[in-house]
Amino acid sequence: MITPLKALRKNRFKTALIFISMSVSIAAIFLISAISGGVVSMYSSMLKTDGDVIVTQKGIADTFFSDINRSLVSSIAPMEGVKEVSALILGAAPVEPLPIVGIYGVSENRFKSYTLKEGSYPSAGEVMLGSKIYETLKRPETILLSKQTFKVSGVFKSRIGFEDGGVVMNLSDAGELFHKSASIFLVSLSDLSRSDALVAEINALGNDLEAKTTDSFIDSYNQFKIIQTSSDVIGAMAFLMGILGIVSMMSMVVNDRKAEFGIMRSVGLSSGVIIGRLLSETLLIAIAAYAVALGASLGILELIEHADKFQGYINGEITAALMFNVFAVSVTMALVGTFLPALYASRIDPMSLIQRGGA
Amino acid sequence: MRIEAHALEHFYGHEKVLNGVDLVIEPGSFTAIIGESGSGKTTLLSILSTLLQPSRGSVRYDGKTFGELGNIDRFRRHNIGFVFQFHYLISYLTLRENVALAALDQTLVDPLLEALGIARLEGRYSDEVSGGERQRAAIARALINRPSVVFADEPTGNLDTKNALGVYELFKRFSIEGTGFVVASHDKKIADYADIIIEMEDGVVKQIHQR
Ligand SMILES: Nc1ncnc2c1ncn2[C@@H]1O[C@H](COP(=O)(O)OP(=O)(O)OP(=O)(O)O)[C@@H](O)[C@H]1O
Ligand SMILES: [Mg+2]
Repeated sequence: MITPLKALRKNRFKTALIFISMSVSIAAIFLISAISGGVVSMYSSMLKTDGDVIVTQKGIADTFFSDINRSLVSSIAPMEGVKEVSALILGAAPVEPLPIVGIYGVSENRFKSYTLKEGSYPSAGEVMLGSKIYETLKRPETILLSKQTFKVSGVFKSRIGFEDGGVVMNLSDAGELFHKSASIFLVSLSDLSRSDALVAEINALGNDLEAKTTDSFIDSYNQFKIIQTSSDVIGAMAFLMGILGIVSMMSMVVNDRKAEFGIMRSVGLSSGVIIGRLLSETLLIAIAAYAVALGASLGILELIEHADKFQGYINGEITAALMFNVFAVSVTMALVGTFLPALYASRIDPMSLIQRGGA
Repeated sequence: MRIEAHALEHFYGHEKVLNGVDLVIEPGSFTAIIGESGSGKTTLLSILSTLLQPSRGSVRYDGKTFGELGNIDRFRRHNIGFVFQFHYLISYLTLRENVALAALDQTLVDPLLEALGIARLEGRYSDEVSGGERQRAAIARALINRPSVVFADEPTGNLDTKNALGVYELFKRFSIEGTGFVVASHDKKIADYADIIIEMEDGVVKQIHQR
């Protein structure tokens, strides 16, 4: 058996402890990075599905507060380069027993962007449910929204967690429910090169409107900025905590083995050789812990994505770039965490190491 | 190798534990260092064997100062063996692997294990053999590179009389073949084997007996 494995096996309990701590740290980095990244990408993909230009009320902080006149659709539709304009009302309301559910009022031409699994698109007084919420509510025939009963006309499947956990209804029904004409217009273009010109034309309509390309909307939208910033902060903190965990584990290991280090030097092995042995051991642990953490994280994300409790609101993807970054960080930290204390130990007299260590 | 210590002083923190030690260890000699507990034997042995840097003073090895020895690990590996009071074998290596750890010539490992009577235990770990067997493995590790001098700090401290005498006999055998020994001990019996007896008291050399 190769020596590093032998050393690890002989200290089974400690090895297990280090291995578990490292796996947990790495998995925390994975999960937080993946989930926070997932939230933003889900929002954006919902808006991007069929809107090249987004129209909202001027100066609003959140689309939930936006109120624009839906009749303006007919002014935008004939503009050059426009393929289709749909109007949406974005709202949220409790649906027993769920405390808050996303409600989407959409103009009829937008129904086709939902893939029906069962039943039909909703007409007046009806709603269609995302497949996730449909299962969560145990396949209801009607639902109660603001004391009004709506018949469930159909079930749709959406890749986007927010939508799959939401309720879709007619624009006019939603208008009555939320007391507004429309929240936003999604404009899809037949000619993408016209997007800037079109933004200017729509803005020229006045009437409190503000048009933006979807990309610039997502970039400038406050809510996204908040989510993105806080996820960046949380992600960075998880990263830091993970790193600190790994480094402190590693320095504990080396600290623990000071005496061994001193003994090896007392028989004349060079510091280089000893550091090399320690490094190969930590590298083994780091790589194994990484593999386990990656597997566990993928499993947990899969579970979360399919858990009723989260209604699909949480999903995350571990991208190749994230995998690579976390791998590089884990290995680097394990190496640095071993190398620095080992280097320090190599500068101390062997006898002091042996006396302080107690092999 | 001739070892010459001059005006050695050593502090642990503010506590002065060696207070001006001058002595010479002649090549191939068998030197015993005796003295009460706390008199500074371990500290002196550690400094003479390059395992510890003295706070003040110098040690010369065949005339060279510590700084002139070149790579100190390499110097130690070729010239010096150390037997600790507690065996300090590496727990995850077998007795044989411990002895072979720093061996310059791997073919010498088996004959040495044979000579020390632990060849049949070579595959065992240190916690699977007796105290005397452990100490013999530690001695084999110190002897494997045919050092010019072996330092031993209370090598029999944890052994019964029979095993202790066995260790001394072993040292004598290698001493006759030319290996120098510097042995620190409480045990007065060591005096019977030594050419020179250095008596320590409170961090200074109190007396040197030559036989
Ligand atoms: N690492 C250390 N840190 C602080 N003080 C120490 C250290 N090692 C030894 N001492 C102190 O230095 C003095 C000399 O210790 P040393 O171990 O050299 O004595 P010794 O003669 O070997 O004793 P013993 O016979 O008990 O082994 C003692 O007073 C001891 O308490
Ligand atoms: Mg001592």
